[in-house]
Amino acid sequence: MREKINWSEMRSLKLSKVLTYSLIAMLVVAFVCIPFISKWYISISTEDSLIKGDAFIPVCIMLVVCDLFGLAAANALRGLIGNIGKSEVFIEANSNYMRLISWCCIFVGCTFTLFGAWRISFFVGAFFAFFMGIVMRVLKNVFEKAVSIKNENDLTV
Amino acid sequence: MSIIVNLDVMMAKRKISSNDLAEKIGITPTNLSILKTGKAKAIRFSTLNKICDVLRCQPGDILEYSDAKEE
Repeated sequence: MREKINWSEMRSLKLSKVLTYSLIAMLVVAFVCIPFISKWYISISTEDSLIKGDAFIPVCIMLVVCDLFGLAAANALRGLIGNIGKSEVFIEANSNYMRLISWCCIFVGCTFTLFGAWRISFFVGAFFAFFMGIVMRVLKNVFEKAVSIKNENDLTV
Repeated sequence: MSIIVNLDVMMAKRKISSNDLAEKIGITPTNLSILKTGKAKAIRFSTLNKICDVLRCQPGDILEYSDAKEE
């Protein structure tokens, strides 16, 4: 039974690793294709905007900024999974990774909000990014508490 | 911390080495060292009970409260 659990855990971790590396690859590809993605999005979006005029450059800038924050968060996720793979779970480095991911989500939310002036639909993206950032922040707080409990437990004789 | 661990004093009185004490109370020498150096954040009643049993002393002989301010 125990071996089965370990095998399942190992597979789950491997799957997470594969998904994280896929995410990083997708973000790199998206970074290279930003002009095409912007052009395509502008051609299909029909909603109103607060600032009139060509939105190509603002959408490109927004995608570059969000992609960079996305890469930073994905890299932190890679580090987090790497530490879990080494059985180093409740350590300060992991809560720092979670803090970084949370801040990346919040900054992406800010970027979406700022560029919402060109496309109203970006506010929807901003809402989800802020929501994700807050969830990560609360998880980070829980993790920090767990690290401090573990440290105290380690020093209980 | 204001709690001072006087375990080494009592060990010297009873003429017992760290390794012997650790073995008798069933903890690792590393954990005993954590306790002796005052790095421990907590001590289990079961551990205190065994220490008192082996060293034939009272908890107050091992633990002391000091109100001196920490630097």
